[in-house]
Amino acid sequence: MSENKMIYLQPTPVRIWHWLNALGIVTLCITGIQIRFPEFMAIFGSYKTAIMLHNTAGIVVSLSFSLWFFYYKMSGKLAKIYVPKPDELKYGLVRQAFFYFFRYFRGDPSPHHATPDNKFNPMQKSAYLAIMFVLMPLVALTGILLMNVTPLRELILLSGGLKILVAVHFLLACSLGAFLFTHVYLATLGRTPTAYIKPMWSGWEETEGDEAEVHH
Amino acid sequence: MKETENLLLLIAGITLLAVAAAHAGEEGYSYGSIEGKSDTCLACHRDGKAVAPRYRIDTGQYNHTSHARIGCAACHDGISPGHPADRIVSKKTSCNQCHRDTAEEYGRSKHAGKASCGDCHNPHQVSAPEEISGQEMNRMCASCHSKEAMEARHAAWLPQADLHLGMLPCVTCHTASENYLITLHIIKRDGDNPYGEFRLATFAELDKLAEGKDIRSLIDTNSDTYISLEELRQFNQKQNQRLLRLQGVMVPEQVTHDFKALESRWNCTFCHASGPKAMQRSTLALPERNGSFTRIDVEKGAVLEALGSTPDFYMTGATRNATLNKVGLAIIAGGLVMPVGHGFLRFVTRKNRKERSHRHE
Ligand code: HEC
Ligand code: HEC
Ligand code: HEC
Ligand code: HEC
Ligand code: HEC
Ligand code: HEC
Ligand code: HEM
Repeated sequence: MSENKMIYLQPTPVRIWHWLNALGIVTLCITGIQIRFPEFMAIFGSYKTAIMLHNTAGIVVSLSFSLWFFYYKMSGKLAKIYVPKPDELKYGLVRQAFFYFFRYFRGDPSPHHATPDNKFNPMQKSAYLAIMFVLMPLVALTGILLMNVTPLRELILLSGGLKILVAVHFLLACSLGAFLFTHVYLATLGRTPTAYIKPMWSGWEETEGDEAEVHH
Repeated sequence: MKETENLLLLIAGITLLAVAAAHAGEEGYSYGSIEGKSDTCLACHRDGKAVAPRYRIDTGQYNHTSHARIGCAACHDGISPGHPADRIVSKKTSCNQCHRDTAEEYGRSKHAGKASCGDCHNPHQVSAPEEISGQEMNRMCASCHSKEAMEARHAAWLPQADLHLGMLPCVTCHTASENYLITLHIIKRDGDNPYGEFRLATFAELDKLAEGKDIRSLIDTNSDTYISLEELRQFNQKQNQRLLRLQGVMVPEQVTHDFKALESRWNCTFCHASGPKAMQRSTLALPERNGSFTRIDVEKGAVLEALGSTPDFYMTGATRNATLNKVGLAIIAGGLVMPVGHGFLRFVTRKNRKERSHRHE
């Protein structure tokens, strides 16, 4: 091994947010299945428990989402970290995809080098942008409306009725579920399967000289 | 042999007829038309000036009842010839005389000592369960069980108690019925105000909107006394949707009189996991001039449609849409492409990456 550098990649608020969020979303997915398909699934005992758990997890995820948002907003890094630059959209995406689906199998290093200010490759940026700025706010919003049907009826009617909210909430939840599979899988694509998961836990990432991370 | 058989058949037939006749006569009153049966009394009693307000009978609400067809005298059989000048208080037949089964059932219930028939029913304004809105049924209970107190009491264990108590008449949970159905009511913004509260639309309001046609034509555009999914969709899309909309209420098919807290209703899955099959039937309840409601059959599966038919009625778990389920499954399957496809190639090419890291050491 050539000299290894440690860089502080994931600040504490982001890590707290991330694992609260992960726990919350997994709970939401499982209780959500029970709520929509009660005949086929009763992991959490009674239907009412599933609903209570789903509501609680929903609130926790919404709050931790706000934590994440305000942390990045205050630190002024939101746009830098999450919004892909025109160049990245034009060439970066293709280069990164080419890496994932071809060069990775040959054993080549990732074209992206993670730094605290630029920790995501263009594919990550695009995916996280969609997840964090479109999917998450919309699921949270529809969820909050569905939790308070009577008090918020007028807003529900404005959106086109309960059924459209349910449809949007359900399909977005499925999309988050789909993201989750991909995301967890990609998290194992580091030098070792836990190379990316450790920094998300401890904050510190070990980089190998200039052969920087195959950051997913 | 043949003759004995015929004889037996004859005897059986007569017995059947006798039983039927006994049953028909059980009430002891014929109730064909309302003609003439109440006219003499109503000459004074329909008029708020001839009698004190508390003695006035609202003929609009009385005339359509089954009780109007048996007439005043059937119940008030002690009216003296000198009435009202003689001030003799007339005898009132009790409900039990004619409604023996109901009275017995109610008598056995825990609620029997708590309220009498007259506390819930006004004998001059009775309706069959299918002629009455859930709200009006709840008004029967509200005189003793106030809305606020009930919301607080049920909210202790029932999520979104306000929503449940708004969409389920009390009797749906507190009386036993074999089956339930969704009745769709037309509700309307108060006073044509686009921000007004929604209330059950009255006959007069809908009559105005129908512009001279039968109010049924507001939804039943082809006048076949049957509401198709297409007709529901059209209704929901129409301009007046901002003022009018459909509200689904879950009602029991039969109302029994064993009012109690049922163990099964405590379990949400009684309604929410009944499976989409249970939610096939719905009816449309249209108001009548006399304040009662008429139900019209709605095509099967209206409340199960993804969006169009009942855009604002959804029972979680029970009225999920099958097409949406498939779309959702496809999305999730899409998310598995990366782990499965990439994972496979990754496994096949694992040697390449090992060589690389060796080269570096
Ligand atoms: C001529 C007008 C008139 C007619 C006809 C009439 N009522 Fe009355 N009725 C009255 C008035 C006035 C009172 C109120 C008496 C009072 O203030 O004590 C009354 C009171 C009553 C009461 C309440 C008091 C009680 O006796 O319990 C009943 C019940 C009643 N009427 C039933 C009938 C029935 C049934 C008929 C038809 C057979 C009838 N009335 C016909 C004028 C009439
Ligand atoms: C199904 C039976 C029934 C029929 C039919 C019926 N009533 Fe009554 N009526 C009652 C009963 C029971 C009461 C007592 C209600 C109470 O005490 O709350 C009553 C009460 C009354 C009262 C007195 C109200 C009071 O507050 O004391 C009047 C007046 C009256 N009825 C008139 C009529 C007239 C007129 C008709 C026909 C148009 C009629 N009723 C038909 C059962 C009937
Ligand atoms: C004289 C007989 C008689 C008396 C007394 C009587 N009813 Fe009825 N009632 C009837 C008949 C007949 C019907 C028609 C229902 C049927 O077909 O079984 C009816 C129907 C009803 C209905 C259903 C309405 C409908 O249109 O089907 C209710 C509710 C009702 N009665 C309540 C009462 C109450 C409450 C009392 C006591 C205050 C009472 N009845 C007293 C004869 C009576
Ligand atoms: C706690 C309230 C309550 C009491 C007390 C009560 N009922 Fe009812 N009853 C209802 C409700 C609610 C309905 C269904 C709505 C309707 O038809 O008005 C009903 C319906 C009925 C019906 C029509 C049933 C049918 O299937 O057509 C009859 C008849 C009836 N009641 C008679 C009685 C009699 C007789 C008594 C007294 C022994 C009585 N009720 C006591 C609430 C009550
Ligand atoms: C005349 C007053 C009165 C009316 C009207 C009335 N109730 Fe009650 N009810 C009571 C009283 C009093 C109790 C016992 C105290 C309590 O639990 O609140 C009771 C208790 C109950 C209970 C609890 C029974 C149990 O298992 O312990 C239920 C359920 C109930 N009522 C349902 C209804 C429904 C549904 C209606 C309307 C269709 C209704 N009540 C109308 C007075 C009334
Ligand atoms: C979703 C079904 C549901 C609906 C709708 C509903 N209830 Fe209940 N209610 C229940 C259950 C289940 C209980 C028993 C809860 C408990 O044991 O604490 C109960 C308890 C009660 C009690 C108290 C009984 C006791 O022993 O403490 C009363 C009174 C009552 N309900 C009246 C009503 C009235 C009035 C309405 C209509 C405004 C209504 N309920 C609507 C399901 C329902
Ligand atoms: C158990 C499941 C999960 C695991 C194992 C996991 C793993 C990881 C890892 C290792 C990282 C750091 C790598 C990187 O910077 O990209 C990361 C970052 C991230 N994850 Fe997850 N994750 C999980 C669940 C989720 C869920 C449910 C969501 C959102 C719905 C999510 C959204 C994100 C986002 C937006 C980032 C970037 C965070 C930032 O640095 O700003 N993750 N995840």
